[in-house]
Amino acid sequence: MEKRSDIETGAALPSGPTKKQTPMRETQVRESYAVETRDLTMLFGKFKALDKLNLRIERGIIYGLLGPNGAGKTTAVKIACGLLTPTGGQAFVLGTKVPNRSILPQIGYMPQETALYVELSVHQNMELFGELYGLTPKKIAEKEDELLRFVALEKWKHSPVANLSGGMRHRTSLACSMIHEPRILLLDEPTVGVDPELRSAFWQYFTALKQSGVTIIITTHYMDEAQHCDKIGLVRQGRLIADGTPLEITKETKTTNLEDAFLALSRGQETS
Amino acid sequence: MNIKRTLAITKKTFRGIWSDKAALMLLLVTPALSIVVFAFGFGGDVSHVRVAVVNQDEGYQIPPSRVRVSISGAILANLDSEVVEVDEVATEAEGVRLVESADAYGLIVFPKDFTRNVYEKSLDPSLSLDTTIRVKLDKTNVNVAGVIREAIGDALVGASASMGVEGTATLDTSDPIYGKGATMRDFFLPAIATYILYIETFLMVVLAFVGQRISGSLARLQVTPLRPSEFVVGNAFAYSVLGLIQAAIMLTFSVYVFGIACEGSMLLAFLVVGVLAVMSLSMGMVVSSLARRSEQAMASLSIVALPSFLLCGMFWPVEAIPTWLRPLSYVVPNTYAINAARYVMLQGWGIGQIWLELVVLFAFTVSFLALSAFALGRVRG
Repeated sequence: MEKRSDIETGAALPSGPTKKQTPMRETQVRESYAVETRDLTMLFGKFKALDKLNLRIERGIIYGLLGPNGAGKTTAVKIACGLLTPTGGQAFVLGTKVPNRSILPQIGYMPQETALYVELSVHQNMELFGELYGLTPKKIAEKEDELLRFVALEKWKHSPVANLSGGMRHRTSLACSMIHEPRILLLDEPTVGVDPELRSAFWQYFTALKQSGVTIIITTHYMDEAQHCDKIGLVRQGRLIADGTPLEITKETKTTNLEDAFLALSRGQETS
Repeated sequence: MNIKRTLAITKKTFRGIWSDKAALMLLLVTPALSIVVFAFGFGGDVSHVRVAVVNQDEGYQIPPSRVRVSISGAILANLDSEVVEVDEVATEAEGVRLVESADAYGLIVFPKDFTRNVYEKSLDPSLSLDTTIRVKLDKTNVNVAGVIREAIGDALVGASASMGVEGTATLDTSDPIYGKGATMRDFFLPAIATYILYIETFLMVVLAFVGQRISGSLARLQVTPLRPSEFVVGNAFAYSVLGLIQAAIMLTFSVYVFGIACEGSMLLAFLVVGVLAVMSLSMGMVVSSLARRSEQAMASLSIVALPSFLLCGMFWPVEAIPTWLRPLSYVVPNTYAINAARYVMLQGWGIGQIWLELVVLFAFTVSFLALSAFALGRVRG
């Protein structure tokens, strides 16, 4: 079980990407957006998970993709990662049309499910991902220490993931997704199962990462979390129903919080 | 026990099975397919096995009728053609070569003046004349050797009775070309060991891969720069080591603990089962890259395991399988491994004689690895 005393919410924040990042090719298009989708459509049989979704996410911001379960948030993230090929429309990540292998080293992806090798230790999982991204053993060790300090798992470094609690597994997963200092982080529900204290530390960390130039895209169905985002996109039934800063959206809908704003926009979508 | 709760579990299980139509189809098709293969492939009889014949007998003109007869000809005519296919050769050396190269399961040698000797001896049993039919068998296949011996014995009895020379000619099977002293255990072990390894390795890989798919870790790897081919080959290395260790344990136990005969090189026998293990894991990777759920993977196991069990020549030679079903035997990779393992362990063959089997297994392996890399290649670009 997780011990509260081991969570150092004030832990030193790990560094963002170094200057050794692969430079973007001049030939690449849509340089200005971290992620852009144009009429992105995804069908699973007869079910329309995405229905002409149009997103424009600027670089270096925290963007929250908000919506209820089944709204299409995870599908959009999976398309951005190259795990799904859209049925229609296009998606660009850092100016490159996806799916495309060349963009993968610049993406950090944390799936909704823990998706770790539970029989391996925290260290072994991190080492695996570090090696897959071509990091040197020295660099892996450095990043591992830094990230484990941040997610407060130093003491569990050599514990098999199978012995960790749900929250700890989530934190391990987050650390694995950042080991290669990606330029864009796609985090699918990263705060599920994380206690409030650590959740607050996560947001602090995301903010620091953003300042180092990393774009962070977070999906969540917790409306209150969206307050931490620079911009949010409200998604419902595979469509973007609002896009802007939290303040802009509440102002526009004449509501006081995002939950009410979402409900108001949903009603509007139904009437139209 | 609460019946409602119990039935709720039953219902849940049925619904799960029903929802996965692919697995359901496999589960329903497999028993039918296995029985069809068994019914047609087995039939209970060994048939159409090739036997070389050297007939030095020129027949005999029986006095006083001067009618020319040939007991060897009568025996050959009496041989059940469903069981034995005769291939007449000019010399004994040529016949031995056919058996040695596994192109025939035995050699029948009728001595010079066989008919004459039999007739004269039937009149005067005290005469010292050669009336022995020498049958040189490949006894490494105990089943087939027994069937050939029985077929020749029946033909001899029938021919002798029709010519009134009962009990004069004899059969000598004491000098086999292969498998002197081979027991049923010696014959089956290479096949059983090979088959167990084939299934075990396959299962090990399928379970591991499906687990990764279900946990989402496979998808996560696909978002890294890792290429599908690297994933497949990396896994192949790891599981090959495990498969080779399993193969080594199995062979060591068989030969050194249980005294199973290994006429050829142990190293070569290890190479054969080792290559099979690698082939089997690559086949497991193809299945797992296609299976979405553990039920589908398990159903595929029955497809892989059962027909190959009946078609690979483990119990009866491929030649005994009906001609129309035989092509299936040749697409079962295990057929080649079992043949090669038997050739090495029972007949003492070297690499020069089993290279073709190894090449076929290697070709299967490479094809399966390429297929699984292709099936896993979800990330394009």
